[in-house]
Amino acid sequence: MRNRVFLLDITRCIGCRSCELACKSEYHLAEGQSFRRVYELEWLTPEGLVVLYLSLACNHCEHPECFRVCPHRTYRKRRDGVVIHEAGRCDGCGRCVQACPYKAPQFDQERGKVDKCHFCYARLDAGLLPVCVEACPTGALNLREGEENLADTVDKIPGLPDPILTGPSLRFRLSGRLKHLLNRPNILGSFL
Amino acid sequence: MVLEKEYQVYRNVCPRNCFCTCSMLSYVRHGRLEKVAGDPLHGFTRGRLCAKGYAYVQRVYAPERVVFPLRQEPRGSGNWRRISWTEALDIIARKILEIKGRYGSLWPIALYVHYGHLGLLHLAVEGFFDALGFITKIQGNLCWSAGLEANLLDMGSNLQPDPETMAKARSIIIWGANPAWTALHQMHFIDVARRLGALVVVIDPLITATAAQADLHIQVNPGGDGALALGVAKYLVERGWYEEDFAKKYILGWEEFRSYLQNELKYTDIYRVAGVDQARIEELAKILVEHRPVALWKGMGLQRYTNGGQNIRAINALAALAGCLGFSGGGLYYASLQTWDLFNFHARNWSPPPGVKGEHRYLPITRAGEGLLAAQEPPVKFLWIARANPLSQAPDPAALQQAMSNMELVVLVDQFLTSTSQYADLFLPCTTQFEEWEIIPSYWHWWVAINQQAISPVGESKSDLEIAWNLSARLNELSPGSCNFPTGGDEEEWVAAEFNPYVYQLLGIKDYRELLQGPRKLKMPERGGEPSFATPSRKYELFSAKARQAGLPALPVLASPLSPPPPYPFRLLTPHLQGGNNSQFLNLPWLMSGSREPVLRVHPAIADKLSLKSGDLVRVYNDRGELVLSVLVTQRVPPQVVVCYQGGTGGKINRLLGGVETDLGKEGAGAPAPAYFETFVNIARI
Repeated sequence: MRNRVFLLDITRCIGCRSCELACKSEYHLAEGQSFRRVYELEWLTPEGLVVLYLSLACNHCEHPECFRVCPHRTYRKRRDGVVIHEAGRCDGCGRCVQACPYKAPQFDQERGKVDKCHFCYARLDAGLLPVCVEACPTGALNLREGEENLADTVDKIPGLPDPILTGPSLRFRLSGRLKHLLNRPNILGSFL
Repeated sequence: MVLEKEYQVYRNVCPRNCFCTCSMLSYVRHGRLEKVAGDPLHGFTRGRLCAKGYAYVQRVYAPERVVFPLRQEPRGSGNWRRISWTEALDIIARKILEIKGRYGSLWPIALYVHYGHLGLLHLAVEGFFDALGFITKIQGNLCWSAGLEANLLDMGSNLQPDPETMAKARSIIIWGANPAWTALHQMHFIDVARRLGALVVVIDPLITATAAQADLHIQVNPGGDGALALGVAKYLVERGWYEEDFAKKYILGWEEFRSYLQNELKYTDIYRVAGVDQARIEELAKILVEHRPVALWKGMGLQRYTNGGQNIRAINALAALAGCLGFSGGGLYYASLQTWDLFNFHARNWSPPPGVKGEHRYLPITRAGEGLLAAQEPPVKFLWIARANPLSQAPDPAALQQAMSNMELVVLVDQFLTSTSQYADLFLPCTTQFEEWEIIPSYWHWWVAINQQAISPVGESKSDLEIAWNLSARLNELSPGSCNFPTGGDEEEWVAAEFNPYVYQLLGIKDYRELLQGPRKLKMPERGGEPSFATPSRKYELFSAKARQAGLPALPVLASPLSPPPPYPFRLLTPHLQGGNNSQFLNLPWLMSGSREPVLRVHPAIADKLSLKSGDLVRVYNDRGELVLSVLVTQRVPPQVVVCYQGGTGGKINRLLGGVETDLGKEGAGAPAPAYFETFVNIARI
């Protein structure tokens, strides 16, 4: 089993949204649908204003809430951890949209169905990187497999749901001032 | 999902007015563009695009894209109807000939072109009109003119080092630029330098995305950049921390400048104009001395003031003293046409028919509307606008709109019904880069890529070049010999005609078709060794006789920007938006859905005073106009400044511009630029 993880180097993300648009372009997503989204956060600290950018998509959780709540069994989890939504059987009931703490599944008004990031599994199977990772101009968004190179990463940052809930395949790398600042609990409040 | 084997893959280049000039791969199936991606063989853009670049598929097939010639009757009514190319070209050709007969001159014909497309073949618009005769031209550039002339006065030329070498700098000073939004791919080279230990300093009145990540952000007053540079220069001189040998040997006016810094310039004035304290000046001075080589990047923002040229001259002077002009690592960056100048400009360089004598009439772009209205003997009756959306982007759109209303015929070449289209009679639809051949050099990096045609023109769109051929053909049918521009041809051959043996040598190829295998980097001549300057004195001119002749200070001395008049206490800044390139891209749902723009960014202290919260509507006004915007309260703008990123208001914000010009800009660009950032407003809650 190869567990794949999105690794976001927060100090290198400049919020350019190339990842978000590369995905929209690859899959010709509907208006208002973004499998990946870039959040811009700013908060005032005694050390000055801190601005950071978070690029988030489906985290292909170990215990996916979408999978658990779907009445039509439209979600499945591959052996390598990728969570796939089979839109064919989806009737757009929206329970997964409500249940996902990361707001990954999104309702498409036009089709009346939900869809979400599938980790570019067809590209992964062809030995390619997900388009979002490939598009990142600063190398902030990465793909990691297994436990390799996760030593200097963290699994949680303030403002995001506690990873213990669903076991997201998402890690962060922090350095410098941000490492120090983000070490405080609940500074941001939930932004999702 | 797009897997390569199912597609035909073509090479394209993004032609937008941007530093990156990205090399793109376009994936085509059944004649339809389905995906664009970065070209991994391009060493500067490295296989990545910006968000706008990835949105191109939506732009090409946008339902709003106009793909047939249209005629609006009456002008301003929005009552557009489709006409044939034959009819459109016939109307234009007959009007040109009728005007020529009526006035015995082509001066009633005016051309307004800008930089909505940077391709060399798109310069066929200029080529066509030059091949017709002597017309009225809108002259100048809305953007970089002040900085360009400052560089020319100081150094005699406008060259810069390879931006990839910024990765080797030990400190990078990004002065008035926001590359995280506007020169995305440079961020990689900045990041490389940083990981190798370089310090990144951003000098900007706003906490931009670039500033937020810098090791040091100096929040200078808007337009106080030159004051800060002179303050640091004074500090360096007082401590003897400057390149004395270089100064004595290669600088003209060194003694005068030193005396000015030491004896006349006062720190109290510097603090007041720059809005920084002694500690910041010392900090910056120490970085310049201790972290060499220094890469110093002058952005476009700090020259959009009435003292914009002086700001750039002061920063250049600091770079000269601190030894970072770029002769030994590091260097001074702005934007440069050094790689453009290598090409033939075959599409642009055409002459009138034999026997036609005269000269063009030039109207400065800052006052294009006024100039067009005032032009007499003969007046202007016909306007052709291409690669531009002046009613959104130019200063004084009200005057330009009035001038357009007075014309007998206004022709607009574009892809969408822009703000400017409202006052056009004929809309000619042009191709995107995927539907044409092109060659597009960069004003930043040294790579050259070819743009090949990937799909057939959408609808009846034509390239600017083909429009010029067809119009020349119609003119010559109606009046043989009236236009010297070719009446047809092959676009790819015109790409070939832009190359010459020297470009081939620098690219290391023998034929332009080799670029179809991948972009190549120009091996530009080394600038190492003995410093040399193309100024009249052959030295770096701190003392510029040319500046003095133009009625400006000969030395780069302290110059303040304008101060807000009491009724309009806030300075309005309108920098570039992330999701758009000037007014382009802002109509695409992929980029703009969920966007808050256009909003007015306001500091919390001001918001408190006026009881404003994010989302409230305010009237933004001054004595020239007003508009209503939603407020976004943010710490990222200083209290005395409000910010509305440009492009999103369809030109409404430009109606507030103050009508003032930059101090420099004539040399190089032909005219000063609008001092966009010298606009003052008041805001009132609705």
